[in-house]
Amino acid sequence: MSTAVNDTLDVKRNPIPPRRYSKPFWEATRQKKLVIQYDRKAGRYQFYPRATSVATGRRRDLEWREVSGKGEVFSFTVARRARPPFEGHEPFVLALVTLDEGVNVLANLVHCTLEEVRIGLRVAPFWLPQPDGTHLLMFEPDRSKR
Amino acid sequence: MFKTAAIVAYAETKIVEKTDLDVWELGAEVLESLLDKSGFEKGEIDGLVLSGSMTGSGNPFWSQTTADQLALQVDFCNIVDLGGCGPTGALVRAAMAIEMGLCTTALCLFADKQASENNQRMRHYQAEWALPYGYLGPPYAFGLLSRRYEHQFGLDYRALGKLAVTQREHALLNELGCEKLRKPITIEDYLNSRMIAEPIRLLDSVMVCDGASGLIVTSRKTAEKRGLNKVVVPIGYGERTTHGAGQNIVDITETGHLAAGQRAFAAAGLKPKDIASFHPYDDFIIAIMMQLEMLGFCKHGQGCAFVNETDFRYTGDLPLNTSGGQISAGQAGLAGGGTNLIEAVRQLMGEGGKRQVKNTRNALVTGIGGIPYGRNWNSSAALILTPNA
Repeated sequence: MSTAVNDTLDVKRNPIPPRRYSKPFWEATRQKKLVIQYDRKAGRYQFYPRATSVATGRRRDLEWREVSGKGEVFSFTVARRARPPFEGHEPFVLALVTLDEGVNVLANLVHCTLEEVRIGLRVAPFWLPQPDGTHLLMFEPDRSKR
Repeated sequence: MFKTAAIVAYAETKIVEKTDLDVWELGAEVLESLLDKSGFEKGEIDGLVLSGSMTGSGNPFWSQTTADQLALQVDFCNIVDLGGCGPTGALVRAAMAIEMGLCTTALCLFADKQASENNQRMRHYQAEWALPYGYLGPPYAFGLLSRRYEHQFGLDYRALGKLAVTQREHALLNELGCEKLRKPITIEDYLNSRMIAEPIRLLDSVMVCDGASGLIVTSRKTAEKRGLNKVVVPIGYGERTTHGAGQNIVDITETGHLAAGQRAFAAAGLKPKDIASFHPYDDFIIAIMMQLEMLGFCKHGQGCAFVNETDFRYTGDLPLNTSGGQISAGQAGLAGGGTNLIEAVRQLMGEGGKRQVKNTRNALVTGIGGIPYGRNWNSSAALILTPNA
């Protein structure tokens, strides 16, 4: 028998306070688009958004690029004890996902069973609507054919 | 690396679940004990180095405010805000200041009552990139770390349980440990303890408590002049913060202790097999095992096998956290890094009492501090101490 993990979709989250330099990320989520920083000199993506290039320390080479958001589970944990407002919503899954562009992203993994979650599982973005019109990036198993 | 610095006294309060005392009363208790033990007068202390404090160091003037509260006139005043690396880092910075002639006798003070008065005000990635996902903090980070470790190397949970049991046995011999934790456990208790963030169990985790500890550091010459024969000196230290910071994806089973350990061992002229007792920072049991690997006691990925073949009791081959570690003595907030440091000093001074280790040639103490985004930990420290070098 498979055990569905809770998706925490109905948890009332606190509003997210974006930093000045991460606003392009949040603005793009309004259209359910995932944009992440790219250092065009170093030829490398980076995540989470930073005030500068993690590769070179030169912020002038950074730009935002849209990516598919597809990737695979790098690691995960099943949360069995949580604090409010997540308390009572256990078990839910926190996963580190390696995007195909080579960055790790922390998010909930939803719409899956406990048995299904494993390192290497292919995932795709799931966008959770926020009251302010932005979306929170989550992941779900990628059920499309590659 | 170090030529003159010497620890001449150590002190610590009992670790309690919640204290009624003010954090400065905890500090004052440590100061009084240190003055009594060392014979120094308060006016002779001209250096103050603090660890962070969840209770206090949200105040950006914490070290000077504490100097004022304790009425210490000092020529070197500093706080080391490296989380669990604060206490080892504070000792080393006090030693540096003494070696450079900036001060002659320093108080290293670690005082925190995070359990009863947590004033931390964080400004980091979590509000934006972790808390919206229900991220609870360290147990979740160690859940992610443990699963990845297991994926790469396999994880022997009975081996981790053995570490938990050994530390608990030591806590039973430590009257300053938190009473709630001073009950024997078995490997089965460990395996059956409730899951917090799979595969992190309750008995993998520290319990946040209140408490304080501290050291008096001076020069060997001064110690000798004053007839303080029992001294402990640092002979090697290494520190690494944000290991692999420039890379997007790192092997999270590799930690900054790799670099910190190599530096400390090189300075001390020692190898892992020379270490007489091991006092690693323990916030989660798996961190002890991973440090054994990174510090070179065994190969990367072989930590559990090494644990299985090693006796870590105070009477054993490699005595481990002989006062119980933070996991079994309680974690006094950001002062918690002082617990294992103080125990190492106590053992090297031959004052371990009923848990005294036989081999007091040296001791290895470590620190772990802070949890970054999607990594293992922010700061790693390794410190090698020896008596009367």
